[in-house]
Amino acid sequence: MTQETRFQELKRYVRFTEVDASLLGAFRDQSDQEFPRIALEFYDRIREHVEAHRVFTGEEQIQRLQSSLVLWLNRICSGPYDDSYQEQTSQIGRVHVRIGLPQRYMFTAMALIRIALLQIADRRIGDSAGPTRDALNKVLDIELAVMLDTYRDAYVDRIQQSERQERRDVGGELARAKHRYVNAVELSNVLTVGLDRNGTVQLFNREAERTTGFARDEVFGLPFVTALKLEDLAGELPALLAKGLSGELPSQVCETTLCTRAGKVRDVVWHLSFAGEQADDEVVMFAMGQDLTDKKAMQERTRQAEKLAAIGTLAAGLAHEIRNPLNGAQLHVSFLERAIRRQAPDQEMLEATTVVADEIRRLANLVSEFLDFARPKPLQVKPVSLIALCEHARTMASPLASTSGVQMRCDLPGADVEFRGDQDKLLQVLLNLLTNAIEAIVGSTGQVVTLRGRREPRHVMIEVEDDGPGVPTADAPIFDAFYSTKEGGTGLGLAITHRIVTDHGGSIDVLSRSGATTFRVRLPLNSLQEIKS
Amino acid sequence: MLVVDDDLRTAQRLAKMLREDGFEVEVARDGAAAIARFTRDPVPAVLVTELEIPHVGGVAVARFARSQRPGLPLFVVTVAPNLVNSDDFGSPPPLLFTKPVAYAAFRDALEVSLRPDGARRPTSDLGPVPPT
Repeated sequence: MTQETRFQELKRYVRFTEVDASLLGAFRDQSDQEFPRIALEFYDRIREHVEAHRVFTGEEQIQRLQSSLVLWLNRICSGPYDDSYQEQTSQIGRVHVRIGLPQRYMFTAMALIRIALLQIADRRIGDSAGPTRDALNKVLDIELAVMLDTYRDAYVDRIQQSERQERRDVGGELARAKHRYVNAVELSNVLTVGLDRNGTVQLFNREAERTTGFARDEVFGLPFVTALKLEDLAGELPALLAKGLSGELPSQVCETTLCTRAGKVRDVVWHLSFAGEQADDEVVMFAMGQDLTDKKAMQERTRQAEKLAAIGTLAAGLAHEIRNPLNGAQLHVSFLERAIRRQAPDQEMLEATTVVADEIRRLANLVSEFLDFARPKPLQVKPVSLIALCEHARTMASPLASTSGVQMRCDLPGADVEFRGDQDKLLQVLLNLLTNAIEAIVGSTGQVVTLRGRREPRHVMIEVEDDGPGVPTADAPIFDAFYSTKEGGTGLGLAITHRIVTDHGGSIDVLSRSGATTFRVRLPLNSLQEIKS
Repeated sequence: MLVVDDDLRTAQRLAKMLREDGFEVEVARDGAAAIARFTRDPVPAVLVTELEIPHVGGVAVARFARSQRPGLPLFVVTVAPNLVNSDDFGSPPPLLFTKPVAYAAFRDALEVSLRPDGARRPTSDLGPVPPT
């Protein structure tokens, strides 16, 4: 008799039988049209939780995962419940481990699925739902058990790896010294990384873990520069190590970017110190890092605010100096036009007055737009409904879309999200972005502009996406005032948009590649304190 | 009506066009002259004023004018409408016009505000039709 596999043993434990399998099959035939709804609600719930949401890389991934969830719901209801079934479940579990999804979310998320499925069973089968409910509970718990095993396997791997590391350390003098200073290193708010002579990581303190998102046993034994993607240091490190080891270079300061586990880039200044050749330890270099990202962002914001305040004063003075003479010019043109009409209506002369009047209006509009940007009215903060805001923007942009032959799509969450902001100004933001998107794809192969709204744990995310040719270059200063690639554009639209978003304490980014340009606005959900008035 | 503006050339051009369109218009080039005018009868039926004018500001002129003629229609012409606080002027709130002012829209608004008083007397064939 062949030995029972772990999976067979699990099924035997919960008494999962052919009867359960056929009940699940029948359940699926009745209910699979509700699966996409379950998937949607499932991922909407995740958006409310920071640590669960952190594992996602973007909307495209979430959409892919939603389809996978529907496939998974079909699979757990249809089997066949054999070893390859178990392998597929394990694979899902390994993905959870790899992306660092905390285990607790597996259980809480499974509770959502369970409630949804049991409710469907009650609704569709009624009083005789009991056996189907049992089968659902069994199959879901088998899923949990198999996925949990993958966490266990990963945990065992890590323990073994750290034991190997400990064995390497045993007996060394410096190992004891390290133990003595371990608190000093672990409790400091400086990233401390110890490298051996090959530049591989041998020490990785808590602050380094916190900043990079990597656990120490994930980076132990890996080259420092590749583990953290320190591209600025990649070419230099071997030479630095050699100089340091020979005593030629006692210490060195350098600034690099590093890439966190979640793929975020952070600016770090490193103080490299060398323990020297004599040190009786494999760690020969310490890299003490300070994360400057937030400080730099803060400095940038302060600089930006000072710049804007200065521009605001300038703008008010400029408006005064320009609008007064424009007023005189405009009135006299109106007078001339009237005089020409009365005395000898000459088409050419009338046209000339129209041109002057148009140019005056254009200049006046430019002044108005510049004032909007440089000296905006204070925000009128009130509760804003994400769905109502997006629908309103869509309605206002649709005449332009239809005359331009562009299709406009709205992709909004099932449940509305309310946040605080200035409704009119946010509407202006969306209209600017939609108008830009529509104008960008006219005359190209693009056809569709998508307005997407989503809730994130601490933010509302709004995207305007077009399938046009993309922004000209990645580094183009598109948010700077007076940068424009449009014929007749003032170059202030995106600058105003940027200002409104940042005044809300939010951020705006552009992600561009050929065939998809996305402007992504993030606004804080609880921004009362953060909003500058 | 009284038009107050320190840009005399433009103010007089505006007055001329408004007269052609049937309005009775006087011009004052500063706040002091404007206030002086409101101490004499007949008190103007409409005040059109800039905010930044010599001697006395537009807000003070408007308040004085309304003390002489409560509810006087006010037309405020300004380079910075976002800096105007309508509450400063009392009731009813002033109509704000941002420079450069489009003449036709300005004239139409004046006409609407004067119609109840019947104070409009056209003298020009290009002007609006008089109420009967």
